[in-house]
Amino acid sequence: MTTNHRARRWALSGAGLTLALSLTACGGNVGGGSDSEEEFPGGDPITMLVGQDPGGSTDLIARAAAEGLSDELGVPVTVENRPGANGALAAQQLAGEDPDGHTLMVYNGSLAYITPLAVGEGEAPDIADFDIVTGLSLDDYVLVTAPGSGFSSVEDLAAAGRPITFGTTGVGTGSQLSQELLFAQADIDATAVPFDGGSPTLTAVLGGQVDVGSVQLGEAIEQIESGGLTPIVTFAEERPSYLPDTPTAVEAGYDVPVQQSRAVFAPEGVPDDVMQALRDGFQAAFETEGYQQLNEDNLLTPLEVDGEEIRERWTENLDNYRAVVEEYGIDLGGDA
Amino acid sequence: MDLAPVLDGFAVVLEPTNLLYCLIGVVVGMLVGVLPGLGPAATIAILLPITIGIEPVTAIIMLAGIFYGAQYGGTITSVLLKLPGEASSVVTVFDGYAMARQGRAGTALGIAAIGSFAGGTISIVALSFLAPLVASFALDFGPPEYTALALLGILLVATVSSGSRLKAVVAAGVGLLLATVGRDGFTATERFTFGNLNLADGLDFVPIAMGLFGLGEILYNLEQRHNATQAPTTVANVWPSRQDLRQSSGAIGRGSVIGFFLGILPGGGATLSSLAAYAVEKRRSKTPERFGKGAVEGVAGPETANNAAATSSFIPLLTLGIPANATMAVIFGALLVVGVTPGPQLVTEEPELFWGVVNSMYIGNILLLIMSIPLVGLFVKILRVRPAILAPITVLITLIGVYTVNNSVFDIVLVIVFGVLGYLMKKAGFDPGPLLLAFVLGALLEDGLRRSLLIFDGDATGFFTRPISGTLLVVFLLVAVYPFVATLRNRRRQEQAQDTSDPNTKELV
Repeated sequence: MTTNHRARRWALSGAGLTLALSLTACGGNVGGGSDSEEEFPGGDPITMLVGQDPGGSTDLIARAAAEGLSDELGVPVTVENRPGANGALAAQQLAGEDPDGHTLMVYNGSLAYITPLAVGEGEAPDIADFDIVTGLSLDDYVLVTAPGSGFSSVEDLAAAGRPITFGTTGVGTGSQLSQELLFAQADIDATAVPFDGGSPTLTAVLGGQVDVGSVQLGEAIEQIESGGLTPIVTFAEERPSYLPDTPTAVEAGYDVPVQQSRAVFAPEGVPDDVMQALRDGFQAAFETEGYQQLNEDNLLTPLEVDGEEIRERWTENLDNYRAVVEEYGIDLGGDA
Repeated sequence: MDLAPVLDGFAVVLEPTNLLYCLIGVVVGMLVGVLPGLGPAATIAILLPITIGIEPVTAIIMLAGIFYGAQYGGTITSVLLKLPGEASSVVTVFDGYAMARQGRAGTALGIAAIGSFAGGTISIVALSFLAPLVASFALDFGPPEYTALALLGILLVATVSSGSRLKAVVAAGVGLLLATVGRDGFTATERFTFGNLNLADGLDFVPIAMGLFGLGEILYNLEQRHNATQAPTTVANVWPSRQDLRQSSGAIGRGSVIGFFLGILPGGGATLSSLAAYAVEKRRSKTPERFGKGAVEGVAGPETANNAAATSSFIPLLTLGIPANATMAVIFGALLVVGVTPGPQLVTEEPELFWGVVNSMYIGNILLLIMSIPLVGLFVKILRVRPAILAPITVLITLIGVYTVNNSVFDIVLVIVFGVLGYLMKKAGFDPGPLLLAFVLGALLEDGLRRSLLIFDGDATGFFTRPISGTLLVVFLLVAVYPFVATLRNRRRQEQAQDTSDPNTKELV
């Protein structure tokens, strides 16, 4: 009985979908010209791919940006989650789409400049194969420890007189890279223990299973403010406004800025006028209150720069990291 | 114990949406309980994708309702038609059907409903006290503890489950192997991915569950010949007499305790506890010869126990993130789909979800008690829906549903592959449950072991020097060694028996 009922609902929603699609198609052909407002080329809906699960920071950013973009361009913008392989699966799908500006993706910087250091040749997508629309924001990593550990600075860790263990949010992540670089430069004997994401890593740090861990600031801030966790350093280039009293690793004397960064990608070969319309649309979306509130709530630092600047920054990051990793003999993949 | 979150949990349940979904859950549960073949694990697996659109707590309240609701429904067909709707109601057939033939079907159903309600409720109360206690050790649960727990879980799944032990071990072995597929989380090396990015994160749990339980069961059921049994039209006298109640009160009490404890154990659950409760009642009875001929305790004990177990099997899932049986494994998947990681942090980080789900069980049990008595006739009519109509619709929903979880065509292929595997397994007498459980626990075991060894710097004695993991490993050793000791003792006793008197002694059980 219930099964029948549900089937009917499915069938109905399917019919509704078809109807909606045909209506949108009509709108594109007939209604597009008559509208006085400037419309996005073609009037077709835009799909924004997200390579992570719904509910995570990348997904939230994509949804907030999509909403603003939709209002500005006058076409529906739908977010489609295609999780897998740290976003590589979504990137692969994006590369196969038409470069007409109607399929975009929120691309994580770690996939561009950290994952290639951990996985085999050719297993991570190359950003040279994509057009970059715009930068979005930066997300900072912070090195935390449980108050009971007695550590409060990098010097304390160096003086521990024993090998220390550090939790990472996974192999090939900024969490791993930031700590590997810091401990190599500080000449601290340390073992990486990869966990499956930020929350299990934090639990392990809180429970003293590992000595320290590096997680994204937004995930740790509540515990830091309540005194449940002690921040040691952030890996930002300059102190993030959300955590003004904690030194950066650079200030502590180690050259290891590692940040998560996000940008909007498109398949290679988007026509100039379409690209310009998208860029204008995103800039307008960034001005909306909802989007700015999201940045603030999630402790994100805006980096709403042009796509080409992102390409330069990310390429430079990859080159820099590759050089340091080789210099210190760090193997992100094999050393665990 | 801080009562505020518990009370907030009631506020969550009493929201109209949640009440509605609780009702939907228990009704669906009762329906699938009535339908032989389609079990709660399959139903929950098939319905997984619809949880995406609704609030996590609402979704889990509904899925939990399906599980314990099925325990009620399974009883009805056992008593009336000698056709157990669920494996956990098989033993109810013995005395329940006998009572029905004596014209006491109403009494049997009434006692079963009252027992189920009592068992369920006692178990929820115990859960409410025990779960936060377990969760208070949450931070002490590090990788070594998870390793030990996963190890114990896999052992129990393979040895304690009802059915052939060898086949369970084989299925669990396959599950462990399947858990190794994917990019290794420690070295980023590809394992069995054949260069396919869809496999980089390993096989997804949801399509496996939907394939093995959903599609596999549907295919298997299609093969069974459908015998439309005529149900008795009138069920009179649902309220048991005072004498019946007095007779079964002990059985209900013992059934609650047995069910509660066996439900917590990995591999235990409703089926095992109903068998154990029946055995206990028969052994304790002064008149064991009445059993099988309509003894009311023979219905009360197992029916109480299976409900108590259905509730208590939520404890390891909600407090440690370890599923105790196949249905819990599917609910584990549901929690992941709605973005909640079950584990020690759940009680403190998501108190509304935790207490909302726990407290919804009180309401659900009351709803079931109210419904199960007047609606018996209606539910029995469901049996007349022809599988040829039901099956294609269910298959379609399964395939569309799995696509919506990850927007992935690859997942549809996976469901079909695992559906065929599930069908073949059932046909060959393998229970797919241990496979699914070992698949979940295998990933926990490997990650936990490797993390522990990194933390211990390669020194495995660390497992035994930590109090919790040490204790768990001792239990593991006891459980592993016990069957050998038991056989040895049996053989010695047999030899003694042969020495002393009759050379043709029957095998001791």
